[in-house]
Amino acid sequence: MALKTPEQYEESLRKMNFKIYLMGEQVKNPVDHPIIRPSMNSVKMTYTLAQDPKHEDLMTATSHLTGKKINRFCHLHQSTEDLVKKVKMQRLLGQQTGSCFQRCVGMDAINAVDSVTFEMDQKLGTQYHDRFIKFLRMMQEEDLTVDGAMTDPKGDRSLSPSQQADPDLYVHVVEKNEQGIVVRGAKAHQTGAVNSHWILVMPTMAMRKEDTDYALSFVAPADAKGITYIYGRQSCDTRKLEGVEIDVGNARFGGHEALMVFDDLFIPWEQVLMCGEHEYSGLLVERFAGYHRQSYGGCKAGVGDVLIGAAAVAADYNGAAKASHIKDKLIEMTHLNETLYACGIACSAEGHKTASGTYLINLLLANVCKQNVTRFPYEIARLAEDIAGGLMVTLASEKDLCHPKIGKMVEKYFKGVASISTEERCRILRLVENLTLGTSAVGYRTESMHGAGSPQAQRIMIARQGNLEHKKKLAKNIAGIKE
Amino acid sequence: MIGLKYCGGCNPFIDRTALVQKIEKLLPQGFKLSTDKPMIPWEKGILICGCPVACANRPEVKTLARQWVLISGPMIDFEKVPEEKMAEVVAGKIQL
Ligand SMILES: Cc1cc2nc3c(=O)[nH]c(=O)nc-3n(C[C@H](O)[C@H](O)[C@H](O)COP(=O)(O)OP(=O)(O)OC[C@H]3O[C@@H](n4cnc5c(N)ncnc54)[C@H](O)[C@@H]3O)c2cc1C
Repeated sequence: MALKTPEQYEESLRKMNFKIYLMGEQVKNPVDHPIIRPSMNSVKMTYTLAQDPKHEDLMTATSHLTGKKINRFCHLHQSTEDLVKKVKMQRLLGQQTGSCFQRCVGMDAINAVDSVTFEMDQKLGTQYHDRFIKFLRMMQEEDLTVDGAMTDPKGDRSLSPSQQADPDLYVHVVEKNEQGIVVRGAKAHQTGAVNSHWILVMPTMAMRKEDTDYALSFVAPADAKGITYIYGRQSCDTRKLEGVEIDVGNARFGGHEALMVFDDLFIPWEQVLMCGEHEYSGLLVERFAGYHRQSYGGCKAGVGDVLIGAAAVAADYNGAAKASHIKDKLIEMTHLNETLYACGIACSAEGHKTASGTYLINLLLANVCKQNVTRFPYEIARLAEDIAGGLMVTLASEKDLCHPKIGKMVEKYFKGVASISTEERCRILRLVENLTLGTSAVGYRTESMHGAGSPQAQRIMIARQGNLEHKKKLAKNIAGIKE
Repeated sequence: MIGLKYCGGCNPFIDRTALVQKIEKLLPQGFKLSTDKPMIPWEKGILICGCPVACANRPEVKTLARQWVLISGPMIDFEKVPEEKMAEVVAGKIQL
């Protein structure tokens, strides 16, 4: 198969047997659930665009394993060009969905796990890489969406995994036998979890010897017996249940996160990719986080394009587009957005080969990229709210706009420039609301802050990678100080 | 003759000059390092790049030798090596 059609993707999800809870109820049909469906549409877009000759150059790649054309989300980066194309693909998808399209975490996970298992096998004589490649072949052949599961609930942040009052606050092995291992714990904030076919679990941080049971990586079918999903609420999510379109802001697309609970989940050995090799957990986290910090230079820039566009349209509809400060604010938003993208491209262009042959981004620049991502979308959102005006949060509902009696009042008093209908004005203001404080703000704002690690995590990496000694030498040389 | 090719040196994580001096000392008599462009490709070459980006690791550079030892910042042939051990590892690979 190698490339699934969007219809085949949707059908494949219908065949899965997820155990999902949402707002106190078990969801039997997640694909058609009004709260979940927009997020499925976003992932589906990764399949749709791969079929489109206008986008296939970014959306597809040639498998280094089989030579076949595959979706880029299933690809191991074979060059810096691949790394650059990844970022461009993510920007494109952010533009097309105006939301999180969820498939990046799995792509970043496979790229990190590939090089780390290869190096682990070389040093320790383990057989994890062969198992991983077997899984990757299936993933590429069946065009699977994979959830990258790293973040543990973590309980008391001042304590290590083995020091927690409840040992299950970090995913760990509770039993090993001839057939495999039994796993308990949970992964939090899992993006696209219930739109995924498989999950790839990784440790959440560098583990020490006493935390050996927590140094764990494996793959499993996303609907395996023993996994329960508790779907995360998003701001304004129940608007999707009201049977309206305008008030939702972005009615077709969205993202989602879920808590993924492992209740004595059995994993056969051939699906285990790390089990106790604590000294490699830090390397896996560093590489996964590096790729994911690169990702944000693409996806957030793409969603930023939509928000900048929405602010500019709102200004047009308001009759304020010609004001010099509005033009300047749009320039500032563009400058910030392109800075994010520039860092994504830079860390890709400066990438390098690893021992397995897979290319890794420049870690310093990827961390600089993500550090900017923790700030700039907030400023872009602030400027968008400035340009949009207060109506983006005080607007009457779609039902009032369509009401036989008061609809005329809404129509009359929410009008901007005469040539634009009130409905169109409402639509664009609701989109600004959606992106800055509605369902899509989860991806555009808070995910920008914490996704792929909170800001301090990047600062630690910047300190480590910054080559301060070289800078000191340069200064001493210029100042005429002899060593 | 052993080929020697440096990257441009904009962001060195290692002291490239000191490393080359150490490698030269460790090589037995008869082994000489040369940065002159060869008429025919060197049998072996050391490609010394200051950081992991290894920007000198390009196809046109690779044609200068039949076999390379790649130093990219703290790594030799993609494997991390402590700086004090690097010269020894490179000299070992050259004599293989
Ligand atoms: C929208 C969204 C999507 C996400 N998607 C995924 C996903 O698909 N897969 C996945 O695995 N993860 C995902 N994440 C998780 C993300 O990686 C984490 O949110 C991030 O690592 C921060 O962890 P946390 O949320 O537990 O925050 P916390 O760890 O609680 O951090 C809160 C604050 O406390 C500080 N802090 C925490 N611990 C310490 C400490 N020991 N010492 C000092 N300061 C500390 C932090 O620096 C931060 O300032 C997602 C997160 C979000 C918000």
